[in-house]
Amino acid sequence: MSIEALVQVLIGGILLGGLYALVAFGLSLIYGVVRILNFSHGTLLAVGGVAASLLYASFKLHPVVLMLILVPALFVFGYLFYTFLLQPLEKRSHFESTVGTVLVTVGALLILSDVTAKLAGATQRNIPIRFEAIEIGEIVISTTQIWILAAIAVLTIAMQVFLRRTWFGRAIRAVTQDPVGARICGVDSSRMKAATFAFGSSIVAVAAVLYTMSFPVDPYMGFGLTVKAFTIIILGGIGNLVGALLAGLFLGVAEGLTGFFWKSEWAPALSVILLLVILVVFPKGLGRSR
Amino acid sequence: MNRPGWKLALFIAAGCIPLAQNAYYTTFAFTILVAFVLAQSWDWVAGEMGYVNLGHYVFYGIGAYAFAIALVGKYPSGVAMLFALLITALAAALLAFPLFRLKGDYFAFGTLALLPLAEVLALNLVPITNGSDGIVLPPENVLTRAYFVVLVVCVIAAIVSVRLARNRFGYALKSIRNDEEVAEVMGVRIFPAKVAVVVLAAAFAGVAGAIQAWQMSFIDPGTVFGLNVALVPVAMALLGGSGLLWGPLVGVLLLATMQQWLLVNVKGYQATIYGTVILLIGRFMPGGLLRAGWVRERSWLRGLTQEHHERITGVQEARTEAQSGMRELPLVPRKTDRGRALLECRDLTMAFGGNVAIDRVNLKIMEGEIVGLVGANGSGKTTLFNCISKVHEPRSGGVFIDGVALAGRRRDEVAHLGVGRTYQIPRPFGDLTVQENIAVPLMFGEDRLQPREALAQAREFVAYAELESRLTDRADSLSLQEKKALEFARALACKPRVLLVDEVASGLTPAEIRRFVEQIRDVRDRYGITVIWVEHIFSALAQVVDRVVVLEQGLVIADGPLNEVVADERVLRTYLGGVAPKVPAVHA
Repeated sequence: MSIEALVQVLIGGILLGGLYALVAFGLSLIYGVVRILNFSHGTLLAVGGVAASLLYASFKLHPVVLMLILVPALFVFGYLFYTFLLQPLEKRSHFESTVGTVLVTVGALLILSDVTAKLAGATQRNIPIRFEAIEIGEIVISTTQIWILAAIAVLTIAMQVFLRRTWFGRAIRAVTQDPVGARICGVDSSRMKAATFAFGSSIVAVAAVLYTMSFPVDPYMGFGLTVKAFTIIILGGIGNLVGALLAGLFLGVAEGLTGFFWKSEWAPALSVILLLVILVVFPKGLGRSR
Repeated sequence: MNRPGWKLALFIAAGCIPLAQNAYYTTFAFTILVAFVLAQSWDWVAGEMGYVNLGHYVFYGIGAYAFAIALVGKYPSGVAMLFALLITALAAALLAFPLFRLKGDYFAFGTLALLPLAEVLALNLVPITNGSDGIVLPPENVLTRAYFVVLVVCVIAAIVSVRLARNRFGYALKSIRNDEEVAEVMGVRIFPAKVAVVVLAAAFAGVAGAIQAWQMSFIDPGTVFGLNVALVPVAMALLGGSGLLWGPLVGVLLLATMQQWLLVNVKGYQATIYGTVILLIGRFMPGGLLRAGWVRERSWLRGLTQEHHERITGVQEARTEAQSGMRELPLVPRKTDRGRALLECRDLTMAFGGNVAIDRVNLKIMEGEIVGLVGANGSGKTTLFNCISKVHEPRSGGVFIDGVALAGRRRDEVAHLGVGRTYQIPRPFGDLTVQENIAVPLMFGEDRLQPREALAQAREFVAYAELESRLTDRADSLSLQEKKALEFARALACKPRVLLVDEVASGLTPAEIRRFVEQIRDVRDRYGITVIWVEHIFSALAQVVDRVVVLEQGLVIADGPLNEVVADERVLRTYLGGVAPKVPAVHA
């Protein structure tokens, strides 16, 4: 158990946590505006990751090109999914629309995983792209990792700027705070909802490519990711990107350390246990929602 | 379907299936019965209480494991079954604490997250669960025995469902489903009720899991905690119609038959087909098949499609003699002593962040008084009510009812001390009838009436509120005036010593206002109920109040008889406006 190995684990944890945070951003934006918990959100990463690895294997496309393909694809998917399957439920009673959205998104989760597994196989896949490694003493960092970390940082800042400075970002925040008020002020909240759902889904496409470059993906891993993203939202606060990033990093590092000091099989349980503990100890949540 | 003969016939038919000695049909019927126990127990939490517990299957899995471990440990099957029941009930009781911090979608999510957790635990606690290899039970053909055990459990579950539709515990759940805060203000102790129903449902699911494990003689983490099997009972209950007495059974029969057909006829893509079914149910009939228009129109299916509120058809024993003038209420008149302070606020302060809504309010309300509480919008009137009924916990200072401090007391305890209230925007229990709305505080008040008595007594309150024609209508179908009348009557049904009335007259016609004024005077004169009335309509207040308290930015700025208060300069300037005689000159 050397210090170098520990640092290596920490870097891996930060990387993983940053990716969790990206997934959580999308879920958080969608929940804030549409008030739907999309149970199939993480599954989009699994499907996107499998697709990215297949495209890479066949055509050797650059990761940026992969993103350029997957982002619009998931945007369109999200838009259609919301418009045709979820929006019609809004007209129903509260209980029916809650139950309806849960069933629709859980159904989608089952279908997406099963179809992906049947078409692409239920095996683990990745994008075997390797840049050269940088050695600092005993610590080895690949440039892939550095690129991914940089991409996460840039995306977080871009998202923050987007939410604070652009019309669409401000509209998202307005609807998150008060849908009726926003509508009165001229924000078309039904179109906003569809657009936000699509946008939140497309963020997952970026995360999917980055994830698949450093960790293996399989068709059934999606729900575990959704649970993690949800824990992160609870920790960081709905719509609070900085909070989500910090919570994501915390979770990623904690999972890495669990594997390092104990057994990696327990890492998937960590987020749920953390969630239950938070709920008992901090019933009102940690972060303020914005 | 209301004739008992149907149910008996169903039961006997189910009991005869194993006699045919056909293992295929018996197994199929067995699967249906297990699914029914799961779907029905899930619906106690969802349909009755309105909490969507997507992790219900976890309890099934825990039961299966507990049973398997006990049976492998050479305990008799009966003991193992009991062990499974106790372990699941315990697990549910422990999990209830974190999970009930969540509401709505969050609750659904938190409970669903239990499934991967349970699966990880089952895979990794190898010494107990044997990990991914699963547990093999002693080989024994128990199909017939397991069948009859699960049939008995089904019957018990059906009886519980019928009882829950009508008993007091069931009404606690229904009021929670509609509005937890109001339920608590009406005297319902909500948290124990929530834990109890989850534990009850979990115990049934655990027994179902145990019986299933017994029959299959093998379990592994995937079969009892897998995501694609776990939501099946939920989908079944919803397909039939959650909250309907026959909903889960209909859903189970349909979906289980379909599942069996798929199993025989389709190879591969099982999860896709299942996901599609779940998705389509969610998209097109989240209310269930029995609520679909074309099913409800069939008169021969009336017995199946009846909603809960349609089954409540008034209770006969109510008095119906015509009375002139004000009706009587089933309240015991209280002797009032004007020299005694019934409600007292001492230095009461409430703030939301930096916004001080109530600022060191000192107030004494004497027994038998009618006090008008006025002030501009945002001056803290409703916040004061919320502090008294414990909807908010005051930041400092205290409220005392007849000398008893309210600090540290729950809302239902405050209700039992004699505080009844209305809400400015009426908050009836929307999917209960008018009669049931009023019966809830009667059931959970000091008298703890049985539902039958409470419903009978509720009629008299309904008559007092002049809502007899709407007795068996859903409360959310009422007009605003009717809702306000219901709100007032429901507060009276708390049998309060002090009644907090929040803008009951605003938005009403002069005739309707006059009626409220008369009723407020009547409940004080006849039954000795002390009243604090928040109102902007001075002409209404003037007819009944003994004195008026004026709030401005959380401070009491005037307190006295109405004619003195309206002449007070500060009141004129800050609240009544316009006619202030002298405004201090700036350049004096």
